[in-house]
Amino acid sequence: MEKFAKAFPSKPLAARTAKPWALAGVVGSGNLEVLLERGGRPSGTMECHVETSIPGYKASWLAALADFAHNYPAGGTKVTINDQGAPPVLVNLRLRQAYDHLIKGDK
Amino acid sequence: MTRGPLFHEQTARQRIAALVDPGSFGELLPPPERITSPYLAQLGIPVSFDDGVVIGRAKLGGKKIYIAAQVGQFVGGAVGEIHGAKLTGLFKAAARDRAPCVLLIESGGVRLHEGSAGEIAIAETMRAIFECRAKKVATIAVIGSDIGAYGGMGILSTCCDFRVMSEHGRLGISGPIVIEKWMGKKAYDSSNRALVWKTSGGKTKYLLGDADALVHDDAGAIRDAVAKLLGRSSAVTLKSVKARQKELEKRLKRFGATTDPNDVWKGMGVRDVAAASLASGPEFAAMTRRGK
Repeated sequence: MEKFAKAFPSKPLAARTAKPWALAGVVGSGNLEVLLERGGRPSGTMECHVETSIPGYKASWLAALADFAHNYPAGGTKVTINDQGAPPVLVNLRLRQAYDHLIKGDK
Repeated sequence: MTRGPLFHEQTARQRIAALVDPGSFGELLPPPERITSPYLAQLGIPVSFDDGVVIGRAKLGGKKIYIAAQVGQFVGGAVGEIHGAKLTGLFKAAARDRAPCVLLIESGGVRLHEGSAGEIAIAETMRAIFECRAKKVATIAVIGSDIGAYGGMGILSTCCDFRVMSEHGRLGISGPIVIEKWMGKKAYDSSNRALVWKTSGGKTKYLLGDADALVHDDAGAIRDAVAKLLGRSSAVTLKSVKARQKELEKRLKRFGATTDPNDVWKGMGVRDVAAASLASGPEFAAMTRRGK
């Protein structure tokens, strides 16, 4: 298990979202769950907490998360990830799904 | 057949949303509360925010219900301490409020990583189910997922008043691979899907009376079946348990030596096994009524 946290600069999230939190993915082999929450945090950063069963890939994680924070206005959100060996492309997909659910709702 | 997504392909939260009145679901202990397993991290297994089960209040046809859906992809939907405590609490709340409780099962049983804590959780949930039934609060298990209902969850499902199954659903105690490991591949080949489904699948369980409804693999069909059962419940008594025991003894006497599940189908009144095998769940139910 490896655990780390970091905040990334990001443009502020939209003032209104469909939900206060959103969840994407499941903790299963080669998969992960992303919990995205809003509220009560500095609006210029996306705060990230990662817990993964596969140690040794912190640099890849930070790159994937920084990329997302750069590409999407997610400032003021908290991202918490439980991972069981998802590849970076899936990490990106789940982040986008959680973001989409947060903004537009689950539909 | 059906136009919507198949029930067995939906996620736990999608299943609940598709089953209950739109927008009526309120999750209890939702992911942001982070009530997670205290054991998994020690074993190098990541936790899940809901510990593999989604629980909450909802309405079905305007009637208040409690509902749970297991997340099969997270350690096989297995019941750990937190997961089990959520189920126990849900049934206790249902008994307290006299609101029916619906359990969407997708689980291989107890989470062996958590040993006794999981076993005890199953026992406590059983007790809570019996508490519901003693108060005539309906308890309904829905079995229509990939994993099915095995081990402790198979037992829990049979503690409920009713079981609604799809053809896709499977119900048993030991899973197919476990049986093969103990009895050998000659006795039970777990890679033989026809054999597995003919021994533990929805159709066979419906024939034997273990399932009370056999419906399409579709949330709407399951909702309709569940809605019909919400007002009905009966207490578990010594008399009812003894009567059930007699039934099972009779079944064992009749089919105990049978090695071909088709013989069980024929024995239960299925005239055309080939046609019954190809029939959809509701078609099968209609055919077997005719066959009896």
